[in-house]
Amino acid sequence: MAQVSTQAQAAVRPVEVARELRPERHISWWHLVVYIFLAIFTITSIGPLVFTIISSFKSMSEVLAFPPTIIPRLWIWTNYATVLADQDFLRWILNVFIYAAAAMVLNVIFSSMAGYALSRLNFPGRNIIFLVTLAVMMIPLAVTLIPKFLIINNLHLVNTYLALILPAMAQPFSVFIMVQFMKGLPKELEESAMIDGATTWRTFYQVILPQVRPALTAVAILTFQGAWNDFIWPLVVLGTRNMYTLPLGLFFFKSAHYTEYNLMLASSMFNTIPILVLFFIFQRYFIEGAVSSGVKG
Amino acid sequence: MATEPVGSSLASAPPLTAEGRQRLMRGLQGKPKRLGRETLTAYLFLAPYLFVLLVFLIFVALYGLGLSLFKVDIGFTTPEFVGLQNYQRLFEQLFTNPGLSLFWISMVNILKFVIAVVIGQTILALILAMILQATIFGRGIFRTIFYIPAVTSSVATALIFLWLYNPDGLINYLLSLVHINGPDWLNDPLFALPSLMLLNIWTTAASFMIYFLAALQDLPRELLEASSVDGANRFQTFRHITVPLLRPTIFLVVALGTIGCFQMFDQAKFMTNGGPLNSTLTPMLEIYNAAFQDSHFGLAAAMSVILFIIIFVVTIIQRRLIEPSASNR
Repeated sequence: MAQVSTQAQAAVRPVEVARELRPERHISWWHLVVYIFLAIFTITSIGPLVFTIISSFKSMSEVLAFPPTIIPRLWIWTNYATVLADQDFLRWILNVFIYAAAAMVLNVIFSSMAGYALSRLNFPGRNIIFLVTLAVMMIPLAVTLIPKFLIINNLHLVNTYLALILPAMAQPFSVFIMVQFMKGLPKELEESAMIDGATTWRTFYQVILPQVRPALTAVAILTFQGAWNDFIWPLVVLGTRNMYTLPLGLFFFKSAHYTEYNLMLASSMFNTIPILVLFFIFQRYFIEGAVSSGVKG
Repeated sequence: MATEPVGSSLASAPPLTAEGRQRLMRGLQGKPKRLGRETLTAYLFLAPYLFVLLVFLIFVALYGLGLSLFKVDIGFTTPEFVGLQNYQRLFEQLFTNPGLSLFWISMVNILKFVIAVVIGQTILALILAMILQATIFGRGIFRTIFYIPAVTSSVATALIFLWLYNPDGLINYLLSLVHINGPDWLNDPLFALPSLMLLNIWTTAASFMIYFLAALQDLPRELLEASSVDGANRFQTFRHITVPLLRPTIFLVVALGTIGCFQMFDQAKFMTNGGPLNSTLTPMLEIYNAAFQDSHFGLAAAMSVILFIIIFVVTIIQRRLIEPSASNR
């Protein structure tokens, strides 16, 4: 700081004088750098994915050709047909969809209910529950994974949808997001609803929820994405091939077709494309949700 | 399930405004009763969340702690209390021959991994955010593009990079263009862990970029303008104005990155399964193996407690280093 200000005092006049001349050259040089970096990072960000999408239409020999071809010499659809012909592949897609959809719906309902109670109602224990919510967000998965499995095992829920859905149906980070959004709403909302004789449930459902739609969308999307991409928990609690979710199925599909990269690339698309589509539609919520769950936490 | 709390609250309240107001007044006077009711309503709203919180988070964490004091192999023998023996066993390995202990090998691996990935992802995320901040046309589009690696699932990217890291894959082809003979990335003990580091930096930098972008947009514009009026160049402004103001965000990114990296599992399991020669064995993978392959659930729980303590201590040290003022408060 000190350096800057002494330099600055000495430089005040020259800068004033040079101002009309310097910016143009300076800005164009700076912008050139910015756009070079933009180009580089664009290639590194979407290059692998775009190359994979294109290559998933290549034949087995071409997908490993050296030097690699960019555009397939021959577009082949059979990779996708072969992947889908695997006896359980469609079932894996269905399984992961059930997991992600159920987790999403339940988590949106339950965490918004909890968020409502924690932000809008007065009751003993409120602060403790909120503090505990903050604290458990810090507990790493490493600590909970094994005991969580043992509980599921004791409940005889191993290899069921419930094993996947139960722990995911109300998540602290979602409750936290809901509290953050709801506590800022004006108190008059409930007062007028109460004067009109609305029950607490109706106040919540018809007055509060419509006010926090962006938060609901963000929670819904993040939960869906989390379950859709989840690998470790399904690996731990699912046992039979027909119950696998898609990421887990892909793991075993990969082991079975170890050298057939054309099939592996095609199979990975089933995991990637749905989330990408969601992302392009709801990208604002993806990004805002990610920020609000992290920055304020 | 979802309609459960309806009846409990003020269900009998009539819809008329005047009467409603009367009820409200009565309600305000009879405070204790109303508080009781509100408490009941609140807990009904909270019930499903409290169930998950108590069972799958609090109880589970305590259970894990207790489990580490037992010898548990589900299905074979009954759990046996062994005190601190699981810990003792792990620390004996550390002090006698850590090079033979899979757990401590995995710890060394993950320390290297955390240092490289956290530094890499933080710097890359900051660069990405600064580049976006400096972009005038198409900032939104580039933000979307840069964010894509963060959206793609770890399993899908693992599959994609298995192919790219292949000895005849794209990465070695690009290296051959500058006359470098690329290694067999994932099958070479020297290069397997760095391969996973690069992949992780690639996926996580994109998500942390968003934090920096949000923080950069909140920086007081006057301060930045003042510094450039004072004749500071871009680098000086960055070094003396931007970085100090970003300290809280840098800490957040470093802390979240550290916590995430310490628990790296997906790629290690999916791409290399800990190999070659245990060079990509991570603590999470070793915990998983100890529990689900060797049926040493108690030992695995002890490993996770040690891992948790290490994560916790490292995070606190980071806070001291990055935000000295905040930790003195």
